[in-house]
Amino acid sequence: MKKQVLSVIYMFLITLFFASLVSAVKLMNDKRIERNQTIKLQQIILRVLQIPTQEQITEEYLSRLFANRVKEIDVDDRTLYIGYKEDGQAIQGYALPVGGPGFWGPIQGMVGITPDATRVLGIAFTQHSETPGLGGRITESWFTEQFQNLPLFPIEGDKNIFYLKPVGTAQAANDLDAITGATNTSSAVEVFLNRELDYFLKELWGSIEGTK
Amino acid sequence: MPNLPPKKEIFVTGLWKDNPVLRQILGICSTLAVTNLMVNTLVMDLGLIFTVCMSSLTVSLLRKVTPVRIRMMVQTLIIASYVIIVDIMIKAYLPDISEALGPYVALIITNCIIMGRCEAFARNNPPMASFIDGLGMSLGYSLVLIAIAFIREPLGFGTLLGFRVLPEGFVQWTVMIMAPGAFFTLGIMVWILKYFRPQTDEEKG
Repeated sequence: MKKQVLSVIYMFLITLFFASLVSAVKLMNDKRIERNQTIKLQQIILRVLQIPTQEQITEEYLSRLFANRVKEIDVDDRTLYIGYKEDGQAIQGYALPVGGPGFWGPIQGMVGITPDATRVLGIAFTQHSETPGLGGRITESWFTEQFQNLPLFPIEGDKNIFYLKPVGTAQAANDLDAITGATNTSSAVEVFLNRELDYFLKELWGSIEGTK
Repeated sequence: MPNLPPKKEIFVTGLWKDNPVLRQILGICSTLAVTNLMVNTLVMDLGLIFTVCMSSLTVSLLRKVTPVRIRMMVQTLIIASYVIIVDIMIKAYLPDISEALGPYVALIITNCIIMGRCEAFARNNPPMASFIDGLGMSLGYSLVLIAIAFIREPLGFGTLLGFRVLPEGFVQWTVMIMAPGAFFTLGIMVWILKYFRPQTDEEKG
């Protein structure tokens, strides 16, 4: 009996010690992690809006550029980002957070759209749990760059905005290269991104136009 | 204390003679998962080296006070704590890598090499020897992973550490990117090793 009590006390103490250790490390690095995420998000928004940045970016430069050129708006429960041209007046484009189920877990990304909502400016994937080296390659530039200048139109019937086809079989302008070896991730991206772009054109675009 | 082999021998045992991947066939899950890119492999290796060494050291330091009946709970707790620390550190200082490795860092917790070393060695041996044992074993693991990645990344992507090493027209072996590619590579390595250095009867067990 005494042994069991000792075991419980021992376990309690050692758990307390290690939990405190982990919490301390977490607290010490929390700000840094959060800052990394903010920087990452700002960079991605600027990138998909095709707002050029300096080669060497500092945190200060980035937040100033972001404050000058990007404005946040809420439309239909979604946070959108409006990018402005250098004069601060004319609109450069809209950045729309998109997301949907991937193969292993949710995928989140950001799509930049031209001010007249007819073409894609740029795209980036911000969060995913796809296999590194396979589905995880959705973040690589050869994959995302294919989306630049993709024409946008509301989906009618079963005609998608874009298709992901096996490498080398693309024929139409809206046939993009899928990721070899990651068929499931590719088709998941195709499904949710088509749906999200369609949603933007049909639902959000009207609201944005309305606020002008 | 039963007579302990010299530290150098403990180290070499883990690194080569009793290599965790090639001889004990442990830690296969992560071996298959991360070795299609050299960068991911290296970060995984560093995470594992840190975790194995520190866990072995800690388990060994506590070996005289830890009640035998709850030792596994204690080991899991220690291992999990170190892995979470590694995860936080990678997120804070190497955000890009953290994104690429995703859930794999947290999964170091389930790597059987770590608990294997705690159970088989650290809980019965002094701290310094345990640390060296952990270092040998984790470096042994790392070397095998690097060797596999060295075969998989060039054949699968035509690159090494992201730099192109095979000509542009090279037809990539998709199977090398996927887990079966690692299976084949690892299988052939184990086979070659067994052929050239068969285990003696004494080692079989």
